[in-house]
Amino acid sequence: MTKKWIWMLCLLLVHHAASAADASQVFYALRDKMLKIKDYTADVKVKIDVAHIRIPEVKGKLYFKSPDKMRLERNGGISVLPKKNINMSVRNMMPAGNVTALDAGYETIDGKKARIIKVIPEDEGNIVLSKLWIDEVLMVVLKTETTTRDEGMVVMKLKYGAYTVQGLPDQLTVLMDVKDYKLPAGVTMDYNDPTEIKKPKDGKPKKGSIQLTYLKYTINTGLTDEVFNKKK
Amino acid sequence: MIKLLRIEIYKIFRRPRTYISFGIVLAIAFIIQLAMYSGGKDFMSFGMQGVTEQFDVQGNIINGYLVTYIILQSLLIHIPLLVALVAGDMLAGEANLGTLRLLLTKPVSRARLVLVKFVASVVYTLLLITWLAVTALLISLLIFGEGDMVNLKSDAFIVLLKDDIMWRYMAAFVFAALAMTTIAALAAMLSAFADNSIGPIMTTMGIVVVLTILTNLELPMFNVIKPYLFTTHMIGWKGFFDDPVPLKAIANSAVVLALYTVGFLGVTIAYFNKKDITS
Repeated sequence: MTKKWIWMLCLLLVHHAASAADASQVFYALRDKMLKIKDYTADVKVKIDVAHIRIPEVKGKLYFKSPDKMRLERNGGISVLPKKNINMSVRNMMPAGNVTALDAGYETIDGKKARIIKVIPEDEGNIVLSKLWIDEVLMVVLKTETTTRDEGMVVMKLKYGAYTVQGLPDQLTVLMDVKDYKLPAGVTMDYNDPTEIKKPKDGKPKKGSIQLTYLKYTINTGLTDEVFNKKK
Repeated sequence: MIKLLRIEIYKIFRRPRTYISFGIVLAIAFIIQLAMYSGGKDFMSFGMQGVTEQFDVQGNIINGYLVTYIILQSLLIHIPLLVALVAGDMLAGEANLGTLRLLLTKPVSRARLVLVKFVASVVYTLLLITWLAVTALLISLLIFGEGDMVNLKSDAFIVLLKDDIMWRYMAAFVFAALAMTTIAALAAMLSAFADNSIGPIMTTMGIVVVLTILTNLELPMFNVIKPYLFTTHMIGWKGFFDDPVPLKAIANSAVVLALYTVGFLGVTIAYFNKKDITS
């Protein structure tokens, strides 16, 4: 009886070691797939849902160059995107360099079975911990939950379509903590409904989301840095 | 009636001070345009700090639409003064010159005379607002070009798409004309009480300044009276640059301003009808 238990324990340990190795393999394979995308240009629709930012859904051209250059061009219009550290690219939510990858079970996202892998970077960077929900069949990331040093928790949800093979999403939604915004009313001299009594703000960060819908990609055309340095 | 109106309009535009008003509007627009041309970026960077801390805002922010919006802020204090300069002189100026009694010898009722003079003031006000629209909007668009417009509220950062702005300006100018008509009616009422135009002009400005301060003070004790102050509603034009546009609140403000205008005019007619004209 004791022998049986010892065998079972050994099997469990071997299985755990094997799956840990698998998790690393899956992560590195996924990251390598993404590294193949050096740059892209995409026609996009941007929808911002942040309490204090009111901007209609806009169309534009999004330029991306590895590792972290991104620019939204709107034909002379104003564009609003999260700051560089929260790049609208899943690749930037995956730590660079060596990592420790751990299995964290399975979950179903939009009807798809996703393997959850927790990734802890070995190097010190902005990312502290990244949790990835991976579709192993298509080898794409369905969701990321990244704890960053500067921006707190950033959640990214992705949907795929025509560019699944390249690992590029059709839709990407970033959920993030947004700091409160306040200007002195005496300076802005706001017009509000005079009969409406406004509740004072609590000053706590609010959840916000930015959704990018990619309409068409042009991949690896060799974008130069000048595209990103154009006058703001 | 039309002939009398023509005469009153002629009287307004015969005086050099009328043209000084148009010159002042041009100067206000020019100074703000110059300031925005030289330091607009720093000005906006300061205002947008709360947003740019987390978001990257790109594009031509300092454009004609934004500069026009900043110029229109002068509607709060400067333009009422220019309107009061003419409307405050409406009856008191005649009394001061000693022509009021002569004017009343004409076969025109006192009420009609007040109305004609008020309409003439409104014509002047409308021309001043049109001039403001030309100098602020057209010249700013020529200098800075067009683009999406950023509107900074105390609790919101609003971006309006460039194809969705021009109608807002047209509506805002119409609303501004209504607000300035209320100022004209106030100045006209005070003008009926006085025999010298300096008094009504200064009193109009005093009322506007004090009530504007009350409107903008975020103190609970003033919140009760704010909805009843006409200065609270005078900035209703700003509502057209909100998203979504608070149409109900704007309509409410327009009604309040119209009621104030009618009220001021009613008091003017009632008082002037009984006034003993000695000059």
